Amino acid sequence: MATTIQNSGPRNSAAPAGTPAAPRLRRSSPRHRAGITVHYFALVITSLVFLAPVAYMVAASFAPASDTLAGFKVFDVSHWGLHNYSGVTASLSSDSTGHLWRFFLVSFTVTVAVVGLGLVVNSMAAFALSRLEWKGRGIALLGILMLLIVPFEAVAVPMFYLYNDARNTLWIQIVPFIGNALSIFLFYSFFSGIPRSIDEAARLDGAGPWRIFALIIAPMSKPVYASVAILTFLTQWGAFLWPVLMVSEPNLRPLPLQISVFAGQLPPAWGQVMAFGVLLVLPVLVVFLLFQRWFIEGVASSAVKG
Amino acid sequence: MRSRRKTRLRAGSMGAAGVALALVLTACGGNGEAGNEADGTLEVWAHSGQASEAEALQSLVDQFNDANEDITVELTLVPEADYTSTVQATKAEDLPDIMEMDAPTMASFVYDRKLVPLEGIVSEEVLENRIGGVKESGTYNGETYAVGMFDVGLGLWGNASLLEAAGLEAPATAGEAWSVEEFRSNLAKLAEVSPSGNAIDLGEANSFAAEWGLFTTSPNLWSAGGTLMKDGKAEGVLNSQENVDALTEWSSWKEYTDPNTSGTAFQEGQVALTWTGNWMYPGFSEALGEDLVLMPLPDFGNGTKAGHGSWQWGATPAAEGNEEAAGAFLDFLMSDEAITAMTDANAAIPGSTSALETSELYGDGKPLALFADNLASACGSEDVTAECIAVARPVTPGYPTVTSSVGSALLAIWGGADVKEELDKAARAIDSDFTDNNGYEDE
Amino acid sequence: MTTTSLLPPKSGTPETPARPARRRGAAGPAMAAPAMLLLILFVAVPFVAAIGFSLYNVRLGDPREPNFMGFTQYARILTDPDVSAQFLSSLGHNLIFAVIVVPVQTALALALAMLVKRALPGMAVFRAVYFLPVIFPMALVAIIWRLILARGDQGLLNATLNFFSGGNFGAQDWLGSELTALGSVIVLSIWQGCGFQMVILLAALQQVPGELYEAAELDRANGWQRLLHVTLPGIRTTLVFVALYTTILSLRVFDQIYVLAKSGGGLNEDATRTVMYQAVTAAFDQNNIGRASAISVVFFILVLILSLIQRRLTREREA
Repeated sequence: MATTIQNSGPRNSAAPAGTPAAPRLRRSSPRHRAGITVHYFALVITSLVFLAPVAYMVAASFAPASDTLAGFKVFDVSHWGLHNYSGVTASLSSDSTGHLWRFFLVSFTVTVAVVGLGLVVNSMAAFALSRLEWKGRGIALLGILMLLIVPFEAVAVPMFYLYNDARNTLWIQIVPFIGNALSIFLFYSFFSGIPRSIDEAARLDGAGPWRIFALIIAPMSKPVYASVAILTFLTQWGAFLWPVLMVSEPNLRPLPLQISVFAGQLPPAWGQVMAFGVLLVLPVLVVFLLFQRWFIEGVASSAVKG
Repeated sequence: MRSRRKTRLRAGSMGAAGVALALVLTACGGNGEAGNEADGTLEVWAHSGQASEAEALQSLVDQFNDANEDITVELTLVPEADYTSTVQATKAEDLPDIMEMDAPTMASFVYDRKLVPLEGIVSEEVLENRIGGVKESGTYNGETYAVGMFDVGLGLWGNASLLEAAGLEAPATAGEAWSVEEFRSNLAKLAEVSPSGNAIDLGEANSFAAEWGLFTTSPNLWSAGGTLMKDGKAEGVLNSQENVDALTEWSSWKEYTDPNTSGTAFQEGQVALTWTGNWMYPGFSEALGEDLVLMPLPDFGNGTKAGHGSWQWGATPAAEGNEEAAGAFLDFLMSDEAITAMTDANAAIPGSTSALETSELYGDGKPLALFADNLASACGSEDVTAECIAVARPVTPGYPTVTSSVGSALLAIWGGADVKEELDKAARAIDSDFTDNNGYEDE
Repeated sequence: MTTTSLLPPKSGTPETPARPARRRGAAGPAMAAPAMLLLILFVAVPFVAAIGFSLYNVRLGDPREPNFMGFTQYARILTDPDVSAQFLSSLGHNLIFAVIVVPVQTALALALAMLVKRALPGMAVFRAVYFLPVIFPMALVAIIWRLILARGDQGLLNATLNFFSGGNFGAQDWLGSELTALGSVIVLSIWQGCGFQMVILLAALQQVPGELYEAAELDRANGWQRLLHVTLPGIRTTLVFVALYTTILSLRVFDQIYVLAKSGGGLNEDATRTVMYQAVTAAFDQNNIGRASAISVVFFILVLILSLIQRRLTREREA
């Protein structure tokens, strides 16, 4: 666990310095200690509820098939083994079923491309909208605000028909999700909060808008980049509706689609499905733990400061 | 400032890496657009449902590829749940050369010009050698559009020990089928002796909203004297009193029905009965041995009924110019060796007369004789007589609407909704879709 | 410092570029172009196309010319007893979903955020635990819960309830029963989404100046009063954001319904069908692109109305 974010409370608030919180009054009365016990009790109980489904998935991924749907038997460690993991690797290892590694590669490629290209394209647009004056800016801004409330779902069906020629391609999983009104909006809000004087100074030094964006504004906006990246990452990594409509080729299936396909296989091999689930979650868990600090700072600055 | 610069680079290079990977994937993604005639590649789509069938098919394809140096079959397995929708959503020119289809969906693909007639592609002997049911399932408007390696049987499988414990005797022939009243009281008796407390598995986990629902439930309608559609109309047919009674009865079995989420309730002896097809036989027989019995489905009054018509193979317009390879592959699939390999895996009724004769499962006194006997008295769904046993699902280009509307109704009825209302709704939905499409008249 | 509106500033408010760049170069349009172009191609064009499709009997893969149907599809969605009943019940499910999930999930997220906010050892671990489900794709969440909620006494939930009630609590068909199907979907959705809101609210809580609490403590305000008079006002903007975000998500519910209904989860379709599920099944299963497009258009108009109402409400409160 990243220790940098471990401390919370007003003292280590993400707020800029200048409002140092007064140290809390230390009280070690019995009542105070009881309060802490109750506090931990609440934490532990809620954690158990939150962890139960995860624990079930992990347990079922190790348990034999006969224990998977037999109440608490799934937690009987003495029966556990790695057979489900070898099973899922073996069942997903041909071109006709698709290869396990390919599903990861597809999900990874799509997500990385959408996040990476999306950061560049959307922040650029937000910069143009928030800090440059050009003909049509007002209309463009209004357009973005309108599109902000069009959920992708509202256009999924016509897109399914319009872009049918692109079925079973990788690009159709990527390109439609690069331009994102919400991302533009988040960048826009953040950029709008940066003092104008910074641009003015740079302009006096002879910098054009591209340089101001690339060398001054973008580098100052790390938190919003982080939060947009993580929001996009989570949405894209779990993308399901569009792949359901557009992908039937096994080797182009992203992970969420593949796990639903795999779960629909008869007879159901739930242990293997759960092993697949564990494998699917692991890389994201690593990413999450690595970027946790960024995430919290990023979300703090864009959602809270606005 | 140092770290800020790094961030920007990272964002940029992440995008670039994504694009590069996309290119790599497209390049080695392979079986998309590449012309097939030139390199002798034959693209094939099949459904993946039962793992054993998929494995058997895969090994047949490998066998074919080894034996034919100039043709390479590239097999893609599409999940059964999405298979028909996927073919529907794919333009004719983007389809593979050869594709599998469930029997009742054939007419809709012909209507959409996604299938070409097989005369001249598949050899004459192969077409002749097919059993009656397979011939019928592959014919639409007088032409052969599909060849099936097998036909299916649907039956009631029992666990002999549990039946005995409940003091019941298993009917062996269609004539001895339990009446629906007997069936109901037997369910109650069997629930008491079944370790799970439930008597039967109706395949609920396969989802009644899917094709499974219509396939396994329509025999109840036919057996009650009802049917699904007549002369392109569902109103007054699908929502007939016979059908309402039959499905009311069917939904009343829920209290004896095991959800069978694990998929192995019957094999483990947890339930006494299961309502499913031939493809489960290998697993059942291995698990239960001598205890496995096959029975006809219950008789609602018009004689016991069963479904027929199964997955079969057709050629698409993409195969044009490549007929020879397509024909070679289909002929290979329809050879007795291939059919036997497949029916060994799924215990289906072999689709050729010669393979049926040598079958170890079908024929007098053999374990699955009942299925072959059922198929011997087959008919279409428009005129179901008392004598007829195996009934084909409606042959119409509007079948996707039929199955989707009936499936939704079944799921709702199983969940406790009013039977008559649901069937009325389904009938109206079907008729309105047919009207919108000029009755699917195919000029 | 936390008072800046979350919503985009209206033109004329001080937040808009006060002194726009003097040079009217080509840089503005050029920088905006890629994103605008993509949004036009993949949002605006499909949306306009949807209006066109909704007037025809469009079928995918049918070589024939589609029939013109005028506003028949809309008339059916709004008046035909079957089609409109299904549409309205779908819409109803979306609304029930929103009405339950938005307050419950927000309250739960706030409670969790307040729990992990205290400076005690181990908080990072608990925070990670609550956040963990967020990284699960909804498709996987649906599959896990489908097993937990399995009907009969095989499912973990039924087994647990049976254990704690000493066998008095009969096995439930959580996903199949009309009464509990939507509730089950709501529970699994909250499980998945709650941690996300918690992180956002936690960040907001940490920005509430500590001296306000000190002052409240000196005023002998109890915990409840501190919540009402310090915490909630301090994070009001964020609460609005979170509620807005969750409302939008509630209208879009699709993945979990699709997986539970289609992969044999035994989900009661009629009790849980959402607008998007109806549109997608009309398009994908029934090949009725025309109706699916009409549903999408009506759906969008409803989202639009809802957003406008919400905008107005939040603005009034801001003012």
